[in-house]
Amino acid sequence: MAFLKRLPSVLTTLFGISVFVFVVLRVIPGDTITSSLGIETGVLTPEQIESLRKYYGIDQPLIGQYLSWMSSFLSGDLGFSYSTGAPVWDLTKSALLVTMQLALFGTLLGVLIGISIGMFSARKPGSARDFLGQFFGLLALAIPGFVLSTTIVTVMANKFQYFPNGYEYMTPFEDLSMNLQQMLFPSLVLGIAVAAPIMRTTRSALLETVDKDFIRTAYGKGVKPRVVRLKHVLRNSLIPIVTMTGIQFGYLLGGAVIVEKIFALPGMGRQILDAINKREYATVQSSIMVFAILFVTINLITDWVYRKVDPRIK
Amino acid sequence: MKLRKVWTGLAITAMLGGIFVGQPARAADTSLVIGSVLDIDKTDPHTATNFATVRGLGLVYGSLIEIGAKNAIKGGLATSWIFSKDGKTLTLNLRQGVKFHDGSTFDADDAKASLERILDTKTGAAARANIATITSIKADGRKLILNMSIPNAPILAALEGVNMAMLSKADIDAGKIGGANKPNGTGPYKWVSWEPTQSLKLTANSDYFMGEPKIKDVTIRVIPNEASILSALNAGTIGMGIVTDPLIARQVKSNLKMFKTPALGYYALQFNTKVAPLNDKNVRLAIQCAIDRNELINTALLGQGQVTGPITSPAFRSDPLARPCPKQDLAKAKEYLAAAGKSSGVTFKTLVTSTGWATSVAMAQNLKAQLAKVNITMDLDIVEQATYVPRWLAADFTATLANNGGRIDPDTMYTRYFTSTGNLNKVATYSSATLDANFIKGKASGKVADRKSSYVAISKELEDNAVWVWLATPFEYRVATKKLRGFSALANGSLLQLRSAQLG
Repeated sequence: MAFLKRLPSVLTTLFGISVFVFVVLRVIPGDTITSSLGIETGVLTPEQIESLRKYYGIDQPLIGQYLSWMSSFLSGDLGFSYSTGAPVWDLTKSALLVTMQLALFGTLLGVLIGISIGMFSARKPGSARDFLGQFFGLLALAIPGFVLSTTIVTVMANKFQYFPNGYEYMTPFEDLSMNLQQMLFPSLVLGIAVAAPIMRTTRSALLETVDKDFIRTAYGKGVKPRVVRLKHVLRNSLIPIVTMTGIQFGYLLGGAVIVEKIFALPGMGRQILDAINKREYATVQSSIMVFAILFVTINLITDWVYRKVDPRIK
Repeated sequence: MKLRKVWTGLAITAMLGGIFVGQPARAADTSLVIGSVLDIDKTDPHTATNFATVRGLGLVYGSLIEIGAKNAIKGGLATSWIFSKDGKTLTLNLRQGVKFHDGSTFDADDAKASLERILDTKTGAAARANIATITSIKADGRKLILNMSIPNAPILAALEGVNMAMLSKADIDAGKIGGANKPNGTGPYKWVSWEPTQSLKLTANSDYFMGEPKIKDVTIRVIPNEASILSALNAGTIGMGIVTDPLIARQVKSNLKMFKTPALGYYALQFNTKVAPLNDKNVRLAIQCAIDRNELINTALLGQGQVTGPITSPAFRSDPLARPCPKQDLAKAKEYLAAAGKSSGVTFKTLVTSTGWATSVAMAQNLKAQLAKVNITMDLDIVEQATYVPRWLAADFTATLANNGGRIDPDTMYTRYFTSTGNLNKVATYSSATLDANFIKGKASGKVADRKSSYVAISKELEDNAVWVWLATPFEYRVATKKLRGFSALANGSLLQLRSAQLG
C-alpha cells in the first residue's frame, strides 16, 4: 500500500532522470562519430559523415530519438551498442552482477567495520579508544580510494607476486575461489570508505541513545552491559545507521568506477564511463536508467527496513 | 558460548585462507596475455582509428604492404609492384596460396573489392583520403592494377595497415563486415572471441603465409590502469603490457623486458594562424624561440621522448637543428615580440585535452611556465578528449597542444594538413602555393632520394613560418616477460611481430 502511494513520485523521478540524461548527453560537445573516429573525422567527406549519422541514428530530430529510445526501453529493449555490436542488456547484465557484488561486499565490510569501531568508540566518549576510533574514521574519509587501491595492488604484486585481478575476471558461478580473490581487495577499499561515515553515524547515534531513560532502566534491572549495548542501545540507534548504509550502498553502485578501473573489474561504472567517452547514447541512457530504477528500489527497501526496525514508523 | 566463538573464528579463518588457494596455473609457454588500458571499439578494420582496435585487428587482418624492420616498406599480401612510366598506374603482384581464416582463397577480386569498399563514401573509411587518387581498379589474375588521376608514388605506403585491410569479397557482398560479424582476415591470428571491456582472444592461424605463429594463443586483456598493468606483469599474471605513460615506463625493473622505439606520432603546439595574436608570424616565432624542448622532455615527459621537427617518417625525418632557434633563445624571442610590436607580451588561450594522453596537462603547464619568461601568457583551456576532438576539428582554438599520429610516408602524413585542398587544412590553418607544389613534386617519384628535397623544403617552410611548434616524439613501449623472444616493437605501434616471436 505504502509502495502504491509512492508510485507517482517514483515514476516522475525516473521520467525526470531519463529526460535529464538524454539532454545532457546531447548538450556536451562531440557525438558518436567524433568519439569513434577522433581527429580522423576531419578526413571524412560530408557524404561519409551523413551516412555515419544515419547509421548511428543521430540524424533524427531529438524528440524522435527520445521517443524511439523510451518506447524500446519500456518494451524491454535497452538498445544496441555500435562499438561492440552487442545488445546493451547483454553488456549490462554481466556488468551489473559485478557492481552489485562489489557494492554488496563493500557495504557488508563497511557495516561490519563501521559499526564495530563506532561501538568501540562510543563506549567511552573522550577516551583514548574514542580518539583512536575517530582517528580511523577521519583517516578512512581522507584517503582517496585510488591511493589505497594502487598501494594495495603495487605492494601485493611487487612483494608477494599476487594480483588475481590480472587474470580473466571470473563470475561466482564460473570460479568462486577466483571470484572471491578478485573481489577481496576492491571490496576492502570500498568497505573502508563506507566504514567511515557509518562509524561516525553509529557513534553519534549510540551516544544519543545511551542517555535515554529506558537504557538506564535496563541497567537498573540488572541486564548485562553487553546485552544492553547490543539489544537496547544498538537496536534503538539503527535508524540513522540503516539510512547511512542505504545511501552508501547507492553511492557504491555508481561510485566504484575508480576501483573498478584499478582492479580491472568489468562493472557498471566502467561501462558507463567508457560509453560516455564514446558517446554511445543508448548504452549510457539505458545503463543509467537501470541504475536509477535500482536506486529507487533500494530506497524503497530502506523504507521497508525502517518499518521492520522501528514499528512506530508507518 | 565459548565453543560457538571458536567455531566462528575457525570458519572465518578458513574462508579467508581458502580464497587464496587455487590460483590458476600460469599460462602455458605458447599463450601470451597482453594487458592494455584500451579495449578495441569495433570490428570493422576500415573504420578503425582507436589504437587498441588497430593493434588487435592488425593481428587478424593482412594488408598489401607492410612496414618491416627499420620502418622500411615491404611486401605483405603483395609480393612485388611496379609503377608505370607516367607514375599513374601501379601494378601489384599478389601473393599466392594465401587463405582467409574461413578457408577461402585470397585473390585479386578480394583486393579490388576491399579497396572499392574503402573508396565508397558510405563506408566512412578512415584512410579513404590516402587513396582517393585511385580512379579505377582492375583485378587481373594475380595482378591488381590501380589507375590514378595523378602520379602518386606514396600510395604504396598508404596501402599499409589495418585501415587498408584485405577483406573477403564474399563477406563484403554479404554485408558481413563489422558489428557482431566475426572478423575474417588473412593475418597470423584468427579471431576467437571478444568480450567487450574484458578481453579479445585470438588463436594462431595454421594457414598463415609465413607459417603458423609459435605463440598459439594471444589474449588482449583490458586492464584500464597502467599501474595495474605493471603490477600484473610483476605478479606474472600477464606476459606483455602496452604502456604509454612515461611515469609507468620508468618504474619497469630488470625482471621485465622493455621494448622501446620512437613513435611516428608527435607532440606539437598547433597554432590557428588566422586568429590574433598568432596570425602574426613574429609572435609565432617568438613562441618557438622561447621554448626549450629538452626541458619539456626532461620534466613533463620524464626524459622519455626526443626532439623532433615536422616530419617523423624515418626515411625523411626533419632535422630539428634546421629551424629558427633550434635551442631556446629568450633574447631572440624578445626580438621577435618587439618586431610584432608586442614588447610588453601577448596572451593566448591553448586548448588542451585532459584525457587524450598521459602527459598532456603536464606538458601544457611546462610550456606555460617557459613562455612566461618572455611575458607570453599561455592560458590553458583544459577539456576532456571527447570535447577536445570536435573543437579541434572545427579549428575552435587559438592554439592547441596536439598529439598527432605520424605516418611512414610524409605525403600521407601531411598532405591532408598542409595542401590547400587537404581535408584537415582548416585545422592546420596554413597553406601556400609553394607547399602545394612541393607536395605534388614529392609524389612524383618512387625513389626516396628523389623525394627528399621536396620534404626538406616543406619542413623548412613550416618551421621558418612557425606554422606550428613541433616539440617531441614520444616512445612506444611494450613491456614483457623476459621469456618473450623474437619480438620487436614497430614505430607504428603494431604487434604484428608476434607472428615470429616465441616464449621461453
